[in-house]
Amino acid sequence: MKILKDKVAKLSFVALLLTMTAAMFYTPTASAHGEKSQAAFMRMRTIHWFDLNWSKEEVAVNDTMTISGKFFVFTGWPETVDKPEISFLNIGIPGPVFIRAGSWIGGQLVPRSVSLELGETYDFKVLLKARRPGDWHVHTMLNVKGGGPIIGPGKWVTITGSMSDFTNPITTLTGETIDLETYNLSNTYFWHGLWYAIGLLWLAYWARKPMFVPRSIAVEAGKADTLISGTDKKVALGFGVGVIAIVAMSMASTNDKFPITTPLQAGLLRGIKSIEMPVTTVKVKIEDATYRVPGRAMQMTMTITNNGDSPIRLGEFNTAGVRFLDADVAVDETGYPDDLLAEEGLTVSDNSPLAPGQSKTVQVTASDAAWEVYRLADLIYDPDSRFAGLLFFYDAAGNRQMITIDAPLIPSFI
Amino acid sequence: MSASQSAVRSRAEAVKVSRTFDWLILFTLFFVVLGGYHIHYMLTGGDWDFWTDWKDRRLWVTVAPIVSITFPAAVQACLWYRYRLPFGAVVCILGLLLGEWINRYLNFWGWTYFPVNFCFPSNLMPGAIVLDVILMLSGSLTVTAVVGGLAYGLLFYPGNWPVIAPLHVPVEYNGMMMTLADLQGYHYVRTGTPEYIRMVEKGTLRTFGKDVAPVSAFFSGFVSIIIYFLWHFFGKWFAQTTFVKSENF
Repeated sequence: MKILKDKVAKLSFVALLLTMTAAMFYTPTASAHGEKSQAAFMRMRTIHWFDLNWSKEEVAVNDTMTISGKFFVFTGWPETVDKPEISFLNIGIPGPVFIRAGSWIGGQLVPRSVSLELGETYDFKVLLKARRPGDWHVHTMLNVKGGGPIIGPGKWVTITGSMSDFTNPITTLTGETIDLETYNLSNTYFWHGLWYAIGLLWLAYWARKPMFVPRSIAVEAGKADTLISGTDKKVALGFGVGVIAIVAMSMASTNDKFPITTPLQAGLLRGIKSIEMPVTTVKVKIEDATYRVPGRAMQMTMTITNNGDSPIRLGEFNTAGVRFLDADVAVDETGYPDDLLAEEGLTVSDNSPLAPGQSKTVQVTASDAAWEVYRLADLIYDPDSRFAGLLFFYDAAGNRQMITIDAPLIPSFI
Repeated sequence: MSASQSAVRSRAEAVKVSRTFDWLILFTLFFVVLGGYHIHYMLTGGDWDFWTDWKDRRLWVTVAPIVSITFPAAVQACLWYRYRLPFGAVVCILGLLLGEWINRYLNFWGWTYFPVNFCFPSNLMPGAIVLDVILMLSGSLTVTAVVGGLAYGLLFYPGNWPVIAPLHVPVEYNGMMMTLADLQGYHYVRTGTPEYIRMVEKGTLRTFGKDVAPVSAFFSGFVSIIIYFLWHFFGKWFAQTTFVKSENF
């Protein structure tokens, strides 16, 4: 019986080991969409990205593409997130699959942190140069100090070619053209190799003689002084003086070879130019807003007042990068990511043109699986259950007005 | 076999076994120290060590020696007291650099494709050798702490300058002046490292004359003295052995 039990135990252990080993060989590709993990209120009430354009969906190594568009720094910025007084225009890509060849806000190059103001709209552009082949989800992104990364919509871009062909030529102010991808690499390896070798020599000098047991016996017997000989002291002095000499000489020769160097540059860029948005002539008052959980739809009752000269219609509701369009009024022609675009997701109870000087109260429904897929429905579990977004109205000539809305959201579970 | 019977039968055998112990202990010491020291250094001086655009004249020069003199001080305490072996600091740095290079090459480059010329580690060897040499020549841990600690801080920047100087050549990039190291940080995208978390020359007591690095180096040296004292006691405490008296069996 005992033999049988032992055999079963042994076989079970072998089976467990085999299972674990087999699991290690199964490595499915991880293509997580990190933006879904960001709290819904943060995506809805901080940075509103719109008019986005990814210039290419496929780009070869060494070729460039741009991501451009606008972002609105929401006036009702949540209290729980630090204001964007120190921010950085980043790009959401899985590591340096592209290099960031340039980034601009309001036409200004922004390699450093910037100060942005609430209620302002900025245009931005990021120039990317393809580096590593593969399919990559490329997001807009703004890091805010004290707030963390605020990630925007992402689109799949394919890089073709071979990474070994990638080059990054830069011309310095000293007139030299270098490839930043490999520059200084052999110098780095040389100095690290040299110093590592010197360290190994020091260790080898002591390791060639008996180390632990005999020396321990001698120390405990009170003969510690006999363990360091005159030769040892001379060798040590040689190492010490040699190290200082090598450091001094290498520093001097480096200064001769690179006489012009500057310290690292950092700082905050202020006075970033915002877009002078046209004065809006449409007023919107949110009477109520509910999110119907089973139907994956948000319903708003809003009173729209047209103080302009031309009749207007509601064309789009944009929140957290998800766009709900009324197809009769607005159509996307920019190649916006499909999973974030509900082309017929906006229903307005009465979307007939609202004449100048008129007001009407309408029910607006934004309905799409994106509410759940992009975890925007989790807004109802946030500590501050308010939603926010952009409404785009169009007049007969196709002119567009952007109105921001910010209101409490009541969930409906039936 | 009783406790009074020797495990070896001749002096020759004793010498051979002792030598085998030497290699076993050195091997184990090397890798145990590598693991602990690497984690410690990454958690304290991490980003300064990872990226060229963090290696400024102030915070890097100050932070790196202060947080890296820790394990050398502790290991020296053990190896010198018990064995009069003066390679405690060097064995720590040999382990740390081996671990760091494996990490940078296999992970930073091999996994996430950051070029190695952007993410190489800091060179800590000159200070470590001098720390060991001062201990050996003085035989005094106090002198090692004061003179060696100061030297450790002062040798850091000049020991690394030949490696980083080429990356401090300036470029004009779309109308702004940057160093090549800044440009590396700008080009090679790190979503979790926005520019504003770089601590480039922040703080007061900025310059002496126009030089920044010497001020930082001296400050780093002085604090390294204190850290050396503290970690010396950690090392001494960890290295103690307490035996149960045989009569209690």
